[in-house]
Amino acid sequence: MKVLHQSQFFTSYQCDKQRCFFIEFPHKTIQLGFCQFLAFRQQVKEIDLDSHFNGQNPHGLEMLMLCNRQHFFVFNTLECIDLKEFITGSFAMLELNSLLTNSV
Amino acid sequence: MKDLVRQNLSIHVDVMDLLNKQIEKEAHSSSAYLAMASWCDHNALSYSADFFYEQAAEEREHMMKIFRFINDNGGTAYSPEVSGVNHDFKSLEEIFETALDQEIAITKAIHNIVGKCRKLNDYTTEYFLQWFIAEQMEEEQTMRRALELFDLMGTEGLGLKLLDERIPQIRDKRAE
Ligand SMILES: [Fe+2]
Ligand SMILES: [Fe+2]
Repeated sequence: MKVLHQSQFFTSYQCDKQRCFFIEFPHKTIQLGFCQFLAFRQQVKEIDLDSHFNGQNPHGLEMLMLCNRQHFFVFNTLECIDLKEFITGSFAMLELNSLLTNSV
Repeated sequence: MKDLVRQNLSIHVDVMDLLNKQIEKEAHSSSAYLAMASWCDHNALSYSADFFYEQAAEEREHMMKIFRFINDNGGTAYSPEVSGVNHDFKSLEEIFETALDQEIAITKAIHNIVGKCRKLNDYTTEYFLQWFIAEQMEEEQTMRRALELFDLMGTEGLGLKLLDERIPQIRDKRAE
């Protein structure tokens, strides 16, 4: 298993043998297929950080369900900011890996 | 490290995002044409109404084409939400002008995705979008032919009725 990207709170891994990904959250680690990783990415992209600061989302909490509702997460504002960076970073590493694979 | 992304997905992730945005645009176009059809119906312009009903159906087909393309190639297509559909028009001419503007905006959006495909070497999607480029050319031409009718014919009294009867013909020249 190889580390893709690590942010302040989260780490993503790729497992070549099982052809899947793992994400380590502070309290648990989950396994995702590519589609589920894509779905996670979409949910994170849809988080509206502005709403945390303009009073629309006064508690600053986001709830996400992953992998066909197998997992349920609640993230606070700090974690949401980190999550966005984490997803961008993880997919950037995947793209870099694609480029490297191409050039070999 | 294996290229798991490529194993699962034949298109570029960033291009997939743009295609999902395009799905929203086509869905919005479809709803906008439906609103135009309704206005024409209420104003006793039945040929124009039929024309826009058909346009609405076509836009939905465009949307479905992209939707299936994303899913068939390992991505995830998202069912679009449509909001902000305008139902207020002052004349049939304004409707066709709005329709032309809408088609031009769609053409630009498609071209923008093709540009992105070239940057990211996503030749699969670029090839897929060729059909849309040709389609947009025809759509713009159709709307321009409608506007030409307004230039040629008056819309006073019976004029508008006669013009409405000509609307089915603006499609005839299309190579289907
Ligand atoms: Fe279209
Ligand atoms: Fe169109």
